[in-house]
Amino acid sequence: MFKKKDKSGYLTIKESRKIIKYNIKQMRYYENEKKKKVDPSAYITKMKDPNNLIEIDNLQTHFFTDNGTVKSVNGVSFNIPKNKIIGVVGESGCGKSVTSLSIMQLVQAPQGQVVGGEIRFNSDDLSLDEEENKLAYNIVKMPTKEMYKIRGKDITMIFQEPMTSLNPVFTVGYQLDEVTFVHYPEKTKEEAKNHSIEMLKQVGISMPERVYKSYPHELSGGMRQRVMIAMALSGDPKLIIADEPTTALDVTIQAQILDLLKNIQKRTKCSIMLITHDLGVIAEMADEVVVMYAGKVIEKGTVREIFHDPKHPYTIGLQKSKPLITSNTDEPLYSIPGQVPNPINMPNTCFFKSRCNKCIKKCSNKYPSEVKLTDTHVVSCYLYEKEGE
Amino acid sequence: MTPFWGIMFKYILKRILISIVVLLGVSIIIYTLVRMMPNDYVDIKFASQLQSGSITQADVDAFKELYGIGDKSFKGIVSGYFNWLGNLCKGNLGLSFKYEKSVASVISENMWVSFAIALIATILQFLIAIPLGVSSATHQYSARDYIVTVLTMIGISLPTYFFGAIVIKIFSVDLGWFPSNGLIDASATYPNTFAGFMSKLGDMAHHLVLPIFVSVLLSIGGLMRYTRTNTLEVLNADYIRTARAKGLSERKVIYTHAFRNTMIPLVTLLAGILPSLFGGMMITEQVFGIDGIGRLAYNALKDGDIPFVMGYNMFLAVLTVIGTLFSDIMYSVVDPRVKLGK
Repeated sequence: MFKKKDKSGYLTIKESRKIIKYNIKQMRYYENEKKKKVDPSAYITKMKDPNNLIEIDNLQTHFFTDNGTVKSVNGVSFNIPKNKIIGVVGESGCGKSVTSLSIMQLVQAPQGQVVGGEIRFNSDDLSLDEEENKLAYNIVKMPTKEMYKIRGKDITMIFQEPMTSLNPVFTVGYQLDEVTFVHYPEKTKEEAKNHSIEMLKQVGISMPERVYKSYPHELSGGMRQRVMIAMALSGDPKLIIADEPTTALDVTIQAQILDLLKNIQKRTKCSIMLITHDLGVIAEMADEVVVMYAGKVIEKGTVREIFHDPKHPYTIGLQKSKPLITSNTDEPLYSIPGQVPNPINMPNTCFFKSRCNKCIKKCSNKYPSEVKLTDTHVVSCYLYEKEGE
Repeated sequence: MTPFWGIMFKYILKRILISIVVLLGVSIIIYTLVRMMPNDYVDIKFASQLQSGSITQADVDAFKELYGIGDKSFKGIVSGYFNWLGNLCKGNLGLSFKYEKSVASVISENMWVSFAIALIATILQFLIAIPLGVSSATHQYSARDYIVTVLTMIGISLPTYFFGAIVIKIFSVDLGWFPSNGLIDASATYPNTFAGFMSKLGDMAHHLVLPIFVSVLLSIGGLMRYTRTNTLEVLNADYIRTARAKGLSERKVIYTHAFRNTMIPLVTLLAGILPSLFGGMMITEQVFGIDGIGRLAYNALKDGDIPFVMGYNMFLAVLTVIGTLFSDIMYSVVDPRVKLGK
């Protein structure tokens, strides 16, 4: 952003003041919205499909920075069905993590705010309405106070950095017990401890009693990630969001952690939203794949469709840039040319246009709408748009 | 003895042995500096008599010899130092020139007034500054943050004597709410009964309001800024996000998960607390005319009272060494990652 040579990249003092003024106004508005006490009817909506656990509909999460508004998530829609693993792929900065943090309402406030769209969460606390529609919470409209009840219980999260994600001054046991105490205040200390140790056993820790008593710095990275998973399991979640859970671990531990996640999913019948930029992990784990680029979903489908029949030039490029053990070693590894466009002042056309090698005339039009190829396979690209549409 | 206490005992013993070396060095430096001051106690005391001619220079030199400060050569300073050190080893800090009593008794008699003021001021300072710092960090860039920051910046920048003078002008001269000077009302006499004692205590409290107010207000700033910076840093940590993701309320996130981590760097400040508690506040006591140890030390320094200045500074040095040891031990208490013994 700063290295930009063309002069339009710089802001005059006047423009910069205008941006700051606008940002303060926006941030104050959204912060107040979250603190307001609202009637439950304001954030209860209906699920489109009761078999889905989460329905994300045109989600927009913006960051109000001093250089202008960054539309990190810019109209993302996808569903997370019950009892499935959804993989979300894309390169760094494409909005994968921000989407997942939006589901948890954990976007870095006050700069980052969910400004539009819906995230419908199919909670068991809610029943059907008169017309037999399944009621759901709209997380976007939910006040933070209500969100406390969902976080850590129905939706939990595993973070990328196990080394820094545990509080260094409390024992593992204390931090695990806390989850139980927050969501089940009636439980006694003894019950919470037994539950925590049971969780540690479930994530394959061989000496749960000892780990329970230790501090995070006494454990290895893989152990800490297991503790994080135990913490995520502790509330008996419907959805586990795993935000690049294996990126910081070495390869042998990666495989173990992924196996563990897969087994947990099979056993507890929860859903997992797996965020990664490792296509191999996705192929191994996911049932359905969402490919994101510059804050938008460009292609989604089942894992078979995305890997055997990728449609969007970006997805094809991603596949090609994956090293294969069978490929010719003399040939350099393919990389998609160019860079992700500046997130401020995105063009109105397809965001991938400047890097695309299959560009056609139509691509200069406005952003392409979603094209349904099969019931599950959806792509946003003019190449596949049928005539007359 | 459990292994923990064994390690602790060994550690403390080692630190004390090191401290002795440190204190020796400190005493050499202070003694040399004090002896190198341009005019000494005898010169100041007999300056007027010497001028009027009632005593001669020879008499003054004889007095200097008597006080043991006659020889200003290197050899004289060295022998003076070992003389002082020898007395110290016998547990004798020497006689104060100015107060004409043993240094130890002057310190122990006047220490407690300063201690009382400093204790109240320190407690108030912590009680006000830490919550202010935390709330200013959690409401970063809000109106509250800006107001607190500006006010505490003013507090840091104002010198004690200047702010003290303003406070005296407003609250005791113009408004007449509080006395401006001293510890008890000079004209009042208190009977030697419980009621008399209580009213004396009330009078003292009345006199101490302004000095405590000034010293608290001026010292909040530093601590508050320190707390604010630490809290901001901790609030951006990954484990705070984890704590939020667990479903903890914002209050719990800040006051259990963030606060414990904020406290770790604050422990460093404990090292400075002991000397500031017992050492008195030179300028504040001087401005408000309180006969605490700070004011005594100031006057002794002005008059070249070598034994008292030595005794006072060694007292501070010992307190500093103990304070540092204490804060290092506290580190291992608040931060499980710190292990003593290396």
